Amino acid sequence: MKAIIALSILAVLNMFFGVRKMKKVLLPLIFIGLIITMILNISDWGKSVHYFNEMFIADNFSIAFSSVLILIGILIFMFANIYYKGVERPLEDIYALILFAIIGGIVMASFGNLILFFVGLETLSISFYVLAGSKKFDIASNEAAMKYFLTGSFATGFLLFGIALVYGVSGSFNLEAINTYILGCNGNVPMIFIAGMLLIFIGMSFKIAAVPFHFWSPDVYTGSPTLITAFMTTAGKVASIAAFYRLITIAFISLHSELTTTLTVIAVLTIIVGNLSAVYQDNLKRMFAYSGVAQSGYLLMALIVLGPKSAGILLFFVLSYVIATITAFAVLMLIREERGTFFIPAFRGLAKNNPVEAFAMAIAMMSLAGIPPLAGFMAKYNLFVLTAEGGYTWLVVVAVIGSMISIYFYFKPILASYFSEGEPQHKIESSVNFKINILVLSILMILLGFLPQVIINLL
Amino acid sequence: MTDKIYVPADYVPILIQSLVALGFVALTMFATHFISSKRKRIRTLRKDENFECGIEVQGNARFPFSVKYFLVAILFVLFDVEIIFFYPWAINFLQMEWREFFVMLLFVALLLFGFYYIYEKGALEWNNDE
Repeated sequence: MKAIIALSILAVLNMFFGVRKMKKVLLPLIFIGLIITMILNISDWGKSVHYFNEMFIADNFSIAFSSVLILIGILIFMFANIYYKGVERPLEDIYALILFAIIGGIVMASFGNLILFFVGLETLSISFYVLAGSKKFDIASNEAAMKYFLTGSFATGFLLFGIALVYGVSGSFNLEAINTYILGCNGNVPMIFIAGMLLIFIGMSFKIAAVPFHFWSPDVYTGSPTLITAFMTTAGKVASIAAFYRLITIAFISLHSELTTTLTVIAVLTIIVGNLSAVYQDNLKRMFAYSGVAQSGYLLMALIVLGPKSAGILLFFVLSYVIATITAFAVLMLIREERGTFFIPAFRGLAKNNPVEAFAMAIAMMSLAGIPPLAGFMAKYNLFVLTAEGGYTWLVVVAVIGSMISIYFYFKPILASYFSEGEPQHKIESSVNFKINILVLSILMILLGFLPQVIINLL
Repeated sequence: MTDKIYVPADYVPILIQSLVALGFVALTMFATHFISSKRKRIRTLRKDENFECGIEVQGNARFPFSVKYFLVAILFVLFDVEIIFFYPWAINFLQMEWREFFVMLLFVALLLFGFYYIYEKGALEWNNDE
């Protein structure tokens, strides 16, 4: 709650300084504000405060996921001045929208009531629609915004209809009350409740880009400005999966054994389709979109087997995904800026001229692919162990095959930068600051690989 | 509410409602054919026009217009919506504590900040013709 208030004040202040054309103040202000927000957020740890008639619940789960969202904000703003280099405008509107999207994400991670869940989802989505089209004179960005808006509002309609049906049958928006209602049915839940629940699932699957509701993601992620793509794939996914987890573990926990079939089918399809489609992409940004689809499949696996540690494993998986993706996108932004393309040949000879960037990219890609001893490996390992212990060995086999396929496309830029033959591209000038940032992130990925229990045991 | 188990038969009224809606469309379409004159139907320019409350159609609706109208319309909606928060607040004002008063002050402050923002951004400047 404190985090939401602090972020709102920060966003309004940021707009004020932006409109007064004080460009130099904006980014330092945002960094200080985000760090204060992070401290305020963590200060509630372990208290489990309930606000406004159970509407907003700040338990450990929500605080952990809110912290990840604030961390995403800090990382994105770290690279904002590189992406928007040479832009004269103060850009306060884009910064404010990013902050508002984070507020929406925090609400989605901490709701106790379906109405507040919907408000959070819309705050996040509407900010995303505008951000996707924030490169106003680029036709691809316009296309991305339009497609995202149309398909996204359609999915929101499904979700809202589902919420309406669930409310109509159970008589409450409160998650606990819905669970009490299900228990009161004694296994005789009305069909219309199931229909509402499935409609909510369709909406959520759309938001995390799970197959068969993933068709928007490649075009939207390719067309949006690169910094915004990095923000959307991470923040959108973290907030949506946190909300999905909350819905399943609080409201629909009594029906979980019936839901696993649906979730398993979606997870298997998502892993297979995401990884296989990514193999055929030459455009690295588009490849990231499909790999994001595949990662959603792994995230869904954490919802299938609910153990005492599944929240912690989900948190660790999300954290490793966020750090790896943002590092990779940071290097990608730099290369796009210099070479004007997202295709693999742009990486040729990167290791010779820009060893730091090539190293960070390699670490990020290996972490995403799940190569030991990096963070991504430990995340996948813990997740697969959890799933196998729940008796879904065949699901683990499918996931491992998916990971093996993913190594092929994740290694494309690494191979191009380290082992490519032919003329290497010229050197890219980058600031010392940028190098330090991506090096720190790479070291973090390596460190997290050795200390996964620290994060997993938090929840 | 919770003790009643709904069976498909409970939704028969909805089915009847949709049948009535469909039936009305079908019936009126059939009836207009049936009661119209026996003469061969004549198509004229006037008959093919869209029905606009009996007023003759003037020109085409699809022409470019200044985006400022759009901007003002959007801003109008934005500042008009505040009424739906003010109205219930004003009705219940006498039963409220000071806390609610300050909550509304905060809301107004945010609204005024939005007004200041669009003013500074030049959204309300009508006279500068690019």
